[in-house]
Amino acid sequence: MRNDRSLFLIEDERSALAAPLRIAFLFAALALLAALPSSLAAQDWFRTGTGLGVSKPRVAVADFAPRNTSSSPLATLFGDVVRSDLDYSGIVEIASKSFYPTQVPSIPSELNGTVWSSAPVSAQFLAFGNLTVTGNLQEIQAWFYDVQNTSAPAVIGRVYHGDANDEATRQFAHQFADEIIARLSGGVAGIASTQIAYVSSRSGNKEIWAMDYDGANQHELTSLRSISLTPRWSPDAGRIAFTCYPTAGSILSAQICMYSMLTGKMISWPHYRGTNSAPAWSPDGSKIMFMSSMYGNPELFVADADGGHVKRLTYAVGASTSAAWNPKTGQQVAFVSDRGGTPQIYTMDADGGDVQKVPLPDKGYVIDPAWSPNGQLMAFSWRRPDGNYDLYVMDVASHDLVELTRDEARNERPSWAPDGRHLVFESTRTGTRQIWSMLADGTNARQLTTQGQSESPNWSPK
Amino acid sequence: MTTAPIQVADESLTGPLVWSLALHSVLIASLAVSTFISHQGDSWAGSPGGGAVSVKLVSGLASPPAGVPLPRPEVVTPNRVVDISKGLYKAEPQPRPKAPPVDAKQIPEFTKEKKPHYVTPPSKVLEDKTPPPQNAVPYGQGGSPSVPYSQSQAPSQSQAQSQFNVGSGATTGGLGFTGPGGGGDFGSRFGYYVDAVRRRVSLNWLQSTVDPSVRFAPRAVVTFDILRNGSVANVQILQSSGNASVDNSAVRAILGSNPLDALPPEYSGSKVSVEFWFDFKR
Repeated sequence: MRNDRSLFLIEDERSALAAPLRIAFLFAALALLAALPSSLAAQDWFRTGTGLGVSKPRVAVADFAPRNTSSSPLATLFGDVVRSDLDYSGIVEIASKSFYPTQVPSIPSELNGTVWSSAPVSAQFLAFGNLTVTGNLQEIQAWFYDVQNTSAPAVIGRVYHGDANDEATRQFAHQFADEIIARLSGGVAGIASTQIAYVSSRSGNKEIWAMDYDGANQHELTSLRSISLTPRWSPDAGRIAFTCYPTAGSILSAQICMYSMLTGKMISWPHYRGTNSAPAWSPDGSKIMFMSSMYGNPELFVADADGGHVKRLTYAVGASTSAAWNPKTGQQVAFVSDRGGTPQIYTMDADGGDVQKVPLPDKGYVIDPAWSPNGQLMAFSWRRPDGNYDLYVMDVASHDLVELTRDEARNERPSWAPDGRHLVFESTRTGTRQIWSMLADGTNARQLTTQGQSESPNWSPK
Repeated sequence: MTTAPIQVADESLTGPLVWSLALHSVLIASLAVSTFISHQGDSWAGSPGGGAVSVKLVSGLASPPAGVPLPRPEVVTPNRVVDISKGLYKAEPQPRPKAPPVDAKQIPEFTKEKKPHYVTPPSKVLEDKTPPPQNAVPYGQGGSPSVPYSQSQAPSQSQAQSQFNVGSGATTGGLGFTGPGGGGDFGSRFGYYVDAVRRRVSLNWLQSTVDPSVRFAPRAVVTFDILRNGSVANVQILQSSGNASVDNSAVRAILGSNPLDALPPEYSGSKVSVEFWFDFKR
């Protein structure tokens, strides 16, 4: 009995102890429950905004440190190419090299961020690294640091291995610059690794050539020893369609030809009656639109990428040529037609319906339409009645015009870079017809070719 | 002799006057105290964002975030609908304004340069000689502050998160902080990414997509998520600018930037939420 009682007492005490414990547990559980969803949903967020315009980030590119004497020229080349690529990207401001401190870092532990982030360099970002040549191989270590962020400055760190030659170093520099540009522009890939196809007669005949986007590495693609014109990259940059003049018996007629970048050889493409020229790829790469006079009048036709299933699209008095697909939608095509008397730009649906004239003053010739990658702008060349060819960009929706060139000889045949910020075109401002590129606002023009006569550039989509 | 008692009664007014003065002062004091107390309420001090109260003061006056029940500034829209210029024809006969009675006698009075009978009392507002406080916003120039919003203005949905983030000591915000605000340490760790998003969206925000008659619009705030691979999801207007074309252009700017750069590989989360504000001014 007593025992029982004591037991009871103990139990009672236990329960008396347990009550606050239970309450504590309850609270703890409640707190956990309350914390759980918010910790599950506790994804990070940030707040930013716009309205006052955007400033370009200021970037410094330190000289890349050569690890031995034989690697010195390549290290200099790498830094120069990266600096040039970033400068020409149009989205960053390059801090002048003369401001740089004498002690440049070659690895992250040597980096003194405050020297670079404070005046006079005042850079927000710094590219640096080192290059080692061993035998005929090179290794490049490259970093891109946010020097104003002291806690977590690393943005990009890369190691490149390859043959020790200028071309490989250039490719690595372009890749590194492209990665920087993609990061700084919020996902728009850089164009430093892209190529430009064009027509040059420096070898005696007009052949298709290709070069890096900065004019380096110019090389001949075709050697047909006749006339090759209007190269157009396929959307995957694997093929180039162009106008060729194969000799069929004694008759020289224009046909569509196809060149494979992967094999470096021509791909067969059917020949059609009459003159066939000015191919244009659909954005998905499945179709090619071209001008053909197979039924007499030069009209636009569309065919599969292998040349089959030809279908006529335009029915009008007068010629229609120079088709350009809207790369964003693939549903609209701009082309040149003289059905109104003079060559003017028209648009139509991809199936040939709903032809409309682009409302420009009916003066002079308006030719060479080129649709920007986002489909919002159209570049073209306009030969005004006074005889000048100049480049213009038009907002497709509002028809607002921006004149890009003026009083600089003839400027024709614009082609957009895949980033939508650059244009390549042909100009006679040096006296001979050469390839130039510039930012799409008309600034920062630079000459890419100098030899012979070069024309009809086309920027590779990737 | 009958006037004497009346004069005595007049002198007895001092008592009520004192009472009235006392009661009025009590009333004024209570008014002042109540204003003070009401301004110290939850909406000011309850936010956990550290030294961010002053940001809230300025921007809260100009464009209150969702949740603070303050009137929003009117949209200055030189719109045709509200154009007060005369039309081509009279829609309604205007009630004739009361023609001032033609009084030939008043004109000679003016020629004599007779001084007006009334004296304008000095205006307490216009002729106040005391200098305005340093943080005073001139009338009509309120607008939105150029500094980013701070933690204290987190919308209700993210209040809880920011409270947890206070514990980790990783909050950002405050008036002196020039970088972007945010929850968690994403903004401070990957500032370059935030800048890149801002740059990309800004470039895709085309003025031509806004109704040309709109010169200025209050801040529009749009929220969206950036997924791991950089694609944009869940675009919503958190705070409308009051003008549909501005709101639409803001949403278009964000959708036009899809996909953004993939989230930094060092970041472990699966997505990041963004609150993006747009201040439209032509």
